[in-house]
Amino acid sequence: MTVAPKSHDKEAATLDAQMPRRRLLAWLSGFGLFASALLAVVSDWLFFKPRVTYGPNARFAIGKPEDFPPGTRIARDVERVCIVREGNKIAAISTTCTHLGCIVAIADTGFACPCHGSHYDQDGNVTGGPAPKPLPWFQVTLAPNGDVVIDKNASVDPGTYLTV
Amino acid sequence: MTPTQEPPIQKSGTALSTLRELPQNFWNSIFRNPLPSTDLERSSTSFTNFFLHIHPVKVNKNTLRPAYTMGLGLMATFLFVILVVTGVLLMFYYVPSTTQAYDRMLDLRGTVAFGIFLRNMHRWSAHGMVAIVFLHMCRVFFTGAYKRPREFNWVLGVLLLLVTLFLSFTGYLLPWDQLAFWAITVGTSIAGYAPLVGQQMKFVLLGDTTVGQEALLRFYVLHVAVLPAVLVLLVAIHFWRIRKDGGLSRPAVPAAPAPTSGVVKLKKIYGLQGFVRGPFTKLGNVPNDSVFSWPNLLMAELFVFVLTISAILVISLLFNAPLEQPVNVMHPPNPAKAPWYFLGLQEMVSYSAFWGGIGIPGLMVALLFLVPYIDRTTHGVGKWFAKERLLANTIFLSMVILNVIFIAIGTFFRGPNWSLVWPF
Repeated sequence: MTVAPKSHDKEAATLDAQMPRRRLLAWLSGFGLFASALLAVVSDWLFFKPRVTYGPNARFAIGKPEDFPPGTRIARDVERVCIVREGNKIAAISTTCTHLGCIVAIADTGFACPCHGSHYDQDGNVTGGPAPKPLPWFQVTLAPNGDVVIDKNASVDPGTYLTV
Repeated sequence: MTPTQEPPIQKSGTALSTLRELPQNFWNSIFRNPLPSTDLERSSTSFTNFFLHIHPVKVNKNTLRPAYTMGLGLMATFLFVILVVTGVLLMFYYVPSTTQAYDRMLDLRGTVAFGIFLRNMHRWSAHGMVAIVFLHMCRVFFTGAYKRPREFNWVLGVLLLLVTLFLSFTGYLLPWDQLAFWAITVGTSIAGYAPLVGQQMKFVLLGDTTVGQEALLRFYVLHVAVLPAVLVLLVAIHFWRIRKDGGLSRPAVPAAPAPTSGVVKLKKIYGLQGFVRGPFTKLGNVPNDSVFSWPNLLMAELFVFVLTISAILVISLLFNAPLEQPVNVMHPPNPAKAPWYFLGLQEMVSYSAFWGGIGIPGLMVALLFLVPYIDRTTHGVGKWFAKERLLANTIFLSMVILNVIFIAIGTFFRGPNWSLVWPF
């Protein structure tokens, strides 16, 4: 039992040396198996990465500019944005904490996160806590029908307002 | 006994005697051995029974010392068995849907017979398994059991710890209450901080950009199918290697001088031992320090099983698994806390998301994997806190204590907005 396979191995080895064609085929099939495994990983990744998500639309209307009188700071928790109106300028600041995704609340000094204690000023700049980045500002546009539209897929520089 | 023995030729009995012997014959066809009373029968019992043949015929006495292993590995296994049984039962009443999951939790409380009790058992066993698996790892470290030839079994053990944590994490979302939602929101955001692939990984894990129906479904499938299968496979290899690495670790015993003068002449190696190579199976010069698995090892296992299930039953009768308010995606609880075993992580995360959530934990896990390949010494195996291992044990113990301190801070000393509070 223990002796037989060894002699077999040896024979196979000598045969292999004599037959480069057999060795080439062994290499090719080994490579084929490896490539298939790689392909499987890639297709698994494609399968698990959804092409369509079922969440709410990232671009949405919030109403007419008149609904937000000057001085307004309203947090819309469903869409996770804070609507800011100063004079005739409107902007939308994200209320998703840049630390770990909790919803920040409006505080006297700006925003405060209940999860890990991050603090932001009125413009979303970090003033304390573990947050690594300021709160992003989203693009605000005016639809043809006069609605204010926010696009959460489009970030703009902090301090960018829409004049209405 | 011997299979080659011809059955005695019997005269075909009367129909009555056939009927009379039927129960006995049926019994004998299932259990090929009588209850063992001789050593040969004790060997056969372990060998021929499907459920027992995972055991060796004989085990080292050291393996059975309660003070050595404390039965922690067995406890973890039995907790997993309890988790599978209660988990499958809970599956009959659970729906992984954001609109129904929480109601089903309330149904378990209100209408399902034993529902509340099953959920308690499942929850407390899960907590117990995390704790016991961790303690088992500590035991293996402090007794130096990870050393050659058991290096890879230690690696498997670390993998098992990670799978256990991930199982616990995925199970956490399923009740779809406030704690579940926000703990998973925080947890997956931590994954998002991993360099390069972080955001992609988070997206694939959640199946969406935020925690919602897709995430609930994905976590459910991972929790009830994928991860248990992975865990069972890893446990099987873990157990298999215990046998193949020569049983549980134990102090090295100076080998008795090999018999020289033909007392035992190894002309022939019997049975399966012919296949066992390497230094671990020795014939002829082994000190007689082993006992038969039946009944010694089986009794020990039964004892640990009874202890484990009694503890879980009592705890489940006394304490109900918590269930918070239904998910409100607009109002995180303040403070939002992860389960206790992740609170050390959450505490570190409150200093720096990358270093606390990815950098330091990743480094710790990498170090854990590498332990047996860094520490190549072979002394001090099989003894708790061996003097020769003072340095290694001190380093490991400091890590454990540090982890416990962070968990304690996160659990007791953090209040609203994660500010420091005094708990008393």
